[in-house]
Parts: sequence; C-alpha cells; structure tokens
Amino acid sequence: MNVTREQILSVSDVTKSIKSILESSFEKIIVEGEISNFKTHGSGHWYFNLKDEGAVINCTMWKGLNNYVFFTPEDGMKIIVTGRITVFPPRGSYQLDVRSMKPSGVGELQLAFENLKNKLQIEGLFDLEHKKSIPQFPQKIGLVTASDGAAIKDMISVAERRYPLVELIVAPTKVQGAGSAKNIVQSINQLNLIKDIDVIIVARGGGSIEDLWSFNEEIVAYSIYNSKIPIISGVGHEIDFTIADFVADLRAPTPSVAMELSTPNADDLKNFVSTAYNSLYEVIENKIETNKSFVQDISTSYSFRYPFERIRKNSQIVDQLSLLLGRQIDKIILTAKHSISLLTKSIELNDLDKVLKKGFALIKQKSKFVARKKNFNQQVPAIIKFYDGEIKIK
Amino acid sequence: MSKKKSSVNFENKLARLEEISETLENSDLGLEKSVALFEEGVALSKECLLILDKAELKVKVLKKDLDNINLSKQDSE
Repeated sequence: MNVTREQILSVSDVTKSIKSILESSFEKIIVEGEISNFKTHGSGHWYFNLKDEGAVINCTMWKGLNNYVFFTPEDGMKIIVTGRITVFPPRGSYQLDVRSMKPSGVGELQLAFENLKNKLQIEGLFDLEHKKSIPQFPQKIGLVTASDGAAIKDMISVAERRYPLVELIVAPTKVQGAGSAKNIVQSINQLNLIKDIDVIIVARGGGSIEDLWSFNEEIVAYSIYNSKIPIISGVGHEIDFTIADFVADLRAPTPSVAMELSTPNADDLKNFVSTAYNSLYEVIENKIETNKSFVQDISTSYSFRYPFERIRKNSQIVDQLSLLLGRQIDKIILTAKHSISLLTKSIELNDLDKVLKKGFALIKQKSKFVARKKNFNQQVPAIIKFYDGEIKIK
Repeated sequence: MSKKKSSVNFENKLARLEEISETLENSDLGLEKSVALFEEGVALSKECLLILDKAELKVKVLKKDLDNINLSKQDSE
C-alpha cells in the first residue's frame, strides 16, 4: 500500500496495514529465545515471553498445539519455537503464535532436570522417611508401562520365571512424547483405586533424554510421591536417572530388575521349603532316637531287671512288723486276762465276806462251796467256813 | 479370586513352615507334640512346593477408555 503525506488514515487502517505486512512477512519463522513469565491459563492455553539480551516478544501457544510439547516449559529455559507473527488490533500489539516448541539443546533439559531435582529435594519428595517398604510376597503388581513395548515383555517373563503366583495388572500407558506425563499420572492414580495392589512398577525401556522426559516432570514426581501403593521405578538403562527414580520408593536400573526387586524367587522358595523339609526329618529322627535310648536306659536299669527284689524286701519288712505286732497283742491280752482274774477274785471275796460277817457260814468240800443239799457228799470231809475262820469236819 | 487365596495361603504356609521348623529345632517339646508339628510341617512343605509348581502367571490389562476401573482379562504370553 502506498501512503502519501496528504492521506489521513484511521487507526484501524494503519493497524490493518501493519497486520497484513507483518503477518505476511513472518508467516513461518523459527525463533530462539529464553522463556519468561510462563503462564498456563485455565483454558489450557500458554502465555509467555520469549526474550534475549535486547528484545522481548509476547508468545501464545494454543491448547490443541501445546498438547504435543513433550516437556513442561519453565522460565529461564532456552527454546526454539516455530510459528507466525499475528497482530491483535484492539490492543495494537503483535505476538508470536507458536506452533511447535523444543528445547534449544539437551543442555536445556539437563538444566531443567537439575532445577526440578533441587526444588523437589527441598520440598522433601526424596526424603527417606517417605519411602514405603516393598512387600516380600506381592499378590498383585500394577504396571505403568506401554502395553506394546519391550519393557512389558521383559517384566512378564521375569515374573513368569521368578514368581508365577503373582498377578500383573497392566495400566497401558503412553510413556513417551506429548501428554505422556499426564498419562503416567492417570495410570498411577487408576492403579491406586484398586485396593489390593501391593506394589506398582513404573517402567520404560531405554531411550534419549527426550524419550524419557515424562519421567522428569513435576506432575509425575508428585503422583509417585502421593501414591498410597509403594512404587518401584525402572526407567531406561542403568545409566539413566530420572526424577521418578528419586521419588520412587525403590529405584531399579531397568524394567526387568524392577520386576526382580518386587518378586521373590520361586527357586529360592523351593530351596527354603526343601531345607525346612529335610531339617524337619532330621530333628524328628533325633528326637525319636533320644526318646528311644531314654526308654532303653530305663528298661535295662537295675530295678527293671530285678523287679521282685523290691517286693521281696518289702514283704520281709511286713513280716517282721506283723510278728512284732502279734507279740505285742499277745502281751496286752495276757496282761488284761491277768488283771480280770484278779478283779474277779476280789469281787467274789468281797461278796462272801459280807455274807459271813452277818453270821452265815459256808460249807466247802474239795475246796468248792456246796450251796445245795443234793451236792453234799457224806463220805468226804467238809470245811465250815465262818467269817473269822474255818473248821474241818471228818 | 482363587488365585488370590492361594497366594495368601502360600505366604502364610511359608511363614508357618518356618515357625514349625524353628520350634522343632529350638524347643524341648514332648515327642507327641513334636511328631504332630513334624506331620504338619511335612504337609505344608508338600503343599508349598505344589503351589509353586502349579502356579501360572496371570496378566490383566486395564482399559483406559471406560472411566478408569474396568478390568479385562488377557492371557499371559
């Protein structure tokens, strides 16, 4: 458009011209700069500035597009964006409408990694007292991993070999690229809804730092931290450390090792059982042997060999005692008899004396009293007994 | 749920076996009690080995699309 000095333009006209010139000249540009003032709105759109030492450009990235960014942008991060300049007439401003975004280099991601790591460390997400213990005999293991990757195959075969008693609950998860961090969080939450899962393995096979990036996202770190179920991380190879590894209750260098760490080894268990089995036999045999020899000792002892010895001894004692007892009783009876006869005599004498004293007399023949006429014998001498003496009659 | 049961039992059985083994070795139980424990232990050993030998891995895959907890069965590889 040609503008001459005489022409008077409206604000809208000028802005319209600017808009058409700018938008056509910067239809597809690639810009490198540092992020500042990054904001995510409720709508899901991103708003931020891209700056360098000398200038600033306002940027927007719409929801439908920022879904495809594999990392979460942060202030201070150097990025390369592609997009176009748009002009917003009501404000008289221009902005960069970002279509895609990537970190300027791997260094940017490493920096972001270090920053987040420090931040979470300060917030206590790595503290040992938060680490949950891994159960020794899990019944159900939840897997947060891609349902078609090498990691899941490795883990299934390890579980099969080591501890086929277990049940694996797979939450198929996108573990790479845009939206994967969110998906990992969803899977962890989903498995947490199942009450009887004993341990969760968050796993992914090896890859570049970009491939593994979702495991370095803050939302993933927090969902691991907040999981009620213990989590083992097995991300990438031995050398790869992710934020998820630091937050997890246990870090495994690979998915296979993660499965090994969460399952007992059936071979070890079999060994344990066989050892216990053998020792049971050994112990019981010893016990029986000990008891046997105890019984043998007793049965060959003196008292068992001569069982009547004791009885004989005892019966002898009984005999002696009864003899002694007999003698004692005889003595007692004899003494009693004697005293009875004495008493009887004295009673008899007492009675006679009384009668005689009154003047009666008694007749005795052959030293027996004759109390009746029929008992008197004329041929035999008699004795008349008075109180004061006796007279013999021939 | 029979799977779950056997697994619970397995852990308990293993623990009981260990207990019996230790009791038999370290305490002065009478012969009758010892023999009873021995018999229990031998039975447990056999059951445990049987469980281990017969176990087959189960794999379930959760469905994402239907509001979170929908379990679907899938055979292991």
